[in-house]
Amino acid sequence: MGGCFSDVKGGQQAVGGAQGQVAQRSHQATTNKGHNDAVDTFFKAKGLHSLCTQMEVFSDPLAVIYAKKKNGSLEELGRTEVIMNCLDPTWIEKINVAYQFEMLQPLVFHVYDVDTKYHNLPVKTLKLKDQEFLGEASCVLSEIVTKQSRSLTLNLQNKNGLSGLKSLGTLTVHAEETFASRNAVEMTFRCSHLENKDLFSLSDPFLRISRIVESGGSVPICKTEVVNNNLNPIWKPLSLTMQQFGSKDNPLVIECFDFNNSGNHVLIGKLQKSVAELEKLHKENASANLFLPPSHHRHQEKVLKSQLFVDGFCEKNLYSFLDYVSSGFELNFMVAVDFTASNGNPRSPDSLHYIDPAGRLNAYQQAIMEVGEVIQFYDSDRRFPAWGFGGRTSDGSISHCFNLNGGAGGVEVVGVEGIMASYASALHNVALAGPTLFGQVINTAAEIAGHSLNYNSSKYFVLLMITDGVLTDLQETKDALVRASDLPLSVLIVGVGNADFEQMEILDADNGRRLEGSNGRVATRDIVQFVPMREVHGGQISVVQGVLEELPGQFLTYMRSRGIEPHAVNVPPPPAQHHPYPV
Amino acid sequence: MATTSRALEVTVISGEGLRLDHRRPVKKNAFAVVRTNSRISRTTKTDIDGGSYPTWNEKIVVDFPSQARFLTVEVHCKTYSGEKVVGTARIPATDFAGGYFPDNYLHFLSYRLRDGKGERNGIINLSVRVKVPENRVSAAMCSGGAVPWMGGPLAVEGCSSGVVTGVPVWHRYKY
Repeated sequence: MGGCFSDVKGGQQAVGGAQGQVAQRSHQATTNKGHNDAVDTFFKAKGLHSLCTQMEVFSDPLAVIYAKKKNGSLEELGRTEVIMNCLDPTWIEKINVAYQFEMLQPLVFHVYDVDTKYHNLPVKTLKLKDQEFLGEASCVLSEIVTKQSRSLTLNLQNKNGLSGLKSLGTLTVHAEETFASRNAVEMTFRCSHLENKDLFSLSDPFLRISRIVESGGSVPICKTEVVNNNLNPIWKPLSLTMQQFGSKDNPLVIECFDFNNSGNHVLIGKLQKSVAELEKLHKENASANLFLPPSHHRHQEKVLKSQLFVDGFCEKNLYSFLDYVSSGFELNFMVAVDFTASNGNPRSPDSLHYIDPAGRLNAYQQAIMEVGEVIQFYDSDRRFPAWGFGGRTSDGSISHCFNLNGGAGGVEVVGVEGIMASYASALHNVALAGPTLFGQVINTAAEIAGHSLNYNSSKYFVLLMITDGVLTDLQETKDALVRASDLPLSVLIVGVGNADFEQMEILDADNGRRLEGSNGRVATRDIVQFVPMREVHGGQISVVQGVLEELPGQFLTYMRSRGIEPHAVNVPPPPAQHHPYPV
Repeated sequence: MATTSRALEVTVISGEGLRLDHRRPVKKNAFAVVRTNSRISRTTKTDIDGGSYPTWNEKIVVDFPSQARFLTVEVHCKTYSGEKVVGTARIPATDFAGGYFPDNYLHFLSYRLRDGKGERNGIINLSVRVKVPENRVSAAMCSGGAVPWMGGPLAVEGCSSGVVTGVPVWHRYKY
């Protein structure tokens, strides 16, 4: 492992070996600034928890790891210790990096030879410009985690990016998911002596659990079912992942409401506990009192007789998204582009399809590029089906699902650049027409996903649809999505332009109402995510983040419900547990 | 095939938002009946305290005649005045057999229930797998046995969108 370095100071080190026996090893805290900034921004923008997984990165002389920002600057994430007198170092220090699926995370590694006279100093105090630069390497975090071995070997280059005639050596990066990231907790809650809020019957209570965020507010993370007419309810077990509650010591707000059909639920009581405190309640068979917050009648909170018990508490290890992708599961990307006339003539600069000669990307190109550059790392062959819909093709007919590459040799194109090229080419060969229909494209994607099940259960398909307009076939689209919810498929919809996207919000079932088909069939799970492009202007978060953040959750819902497990390559078997609940 | 019927493994998972007479939520004692025709049926256990959101997670094996076009699932509940039919769902055979799915694919399906007057009344969640002779099991399910789905997203009708956020999928794992 590793390679040969040119080390002119090697001889001197050998002579001065005794002096360097005491090597200070610094224990660096993880730099969480970037992570918290991103998470904090997510909370502010969407009120949702981003799927972040803590990674440990092993690096094989002193290595420094940076995150490359959008403006090209480097932010240091951590440093290894100095390995003395070694041309093939294996560093011990691990550097924690937060994995965010929905973002491209470029990493840059610099390797230095630390001068002998600095060997007794803490690593973090070293000035890197005083050390000898040996080489640099870069990659994207998802390139590492999708490898079966979760290791990536990179050639070191000098500062101007050339490998040169002489080999500068290699750097091998190994990534492992921290144990805590996989943790989930299943809890069974019970209340007693709830206050009655109903006039002619008993309360219909349910619990809502929220996570407190740094800005001081709280974000709901789950709720129980409603138990009717009961002041001493026991709810069904809730499963919470570490990603949802952050850490076992993070305070959670638990609110008990009386359910009302009008949607105006009445607060019965609330309390604030961390997961660790809830575990303690369970072990001690203790309870906690609910209270009512201050109101204009009463200046301090009122402690109620009502009590919360934790009847069940069970920690478990779940297979994580990274377990699947590192053992060979893939996300297969598919694209469908709206070619209806409402986009405007592509030759006109105000058309949504205008190809700027200066190279500035239009909204369609932006969406393809931003989603594609993230998701391409999860597909080993990078051959992507690409369709258009709503255009008049060269045979004169309007097609609601035509191959973007002109139908020459099948539907697939190679790489994100292949999608971009076939899109630009199609604009010259296809006349914009209409109307806007989604059903055919979704059915075609569903058929591909369905056929893949006959030979491979480790493919999950992601269809990106980019549209400017209002659907003509809303019911057929719903029917197609309901059927597709039984398949390994997610549908991401990006809206461009300024149309009213109310229909898209209906398809994106984040309002809690499950999609229903015309024949009474209901979607088994939520597979649709919609984001309008104009949210880009509001802040730092790009469209890609909004549209991709739910994808690992949708993937996991599909896999876990069918009992599909990662291939047994890297994954340690979950510890055997006696499950306390009868099934 | 020589056989005139197929065996189906039907796991009746749960119900959501069940009501009696379209107004009052079901309080208790809900159970499901799976029919392939009017004479042959299988019944789940009764969920005594699940109320309008019962959970059964019960696997039933039924013979499905080759000429049948629907599988029917009824939800009943026992009340003081006797047994009542809460709602019925008709499941087309094409939803779980044929098409481009592998023969023994484990389907997760959900359907709107209709009461005796045809009014919408809650949702039934189930999984269906066509039992296939051993030599025809496809590679799709070779990676470990399937574990039944232990719950589903809640769709509380009439709830404001601010409340129904981050609804969990329950997990009960057997190790």
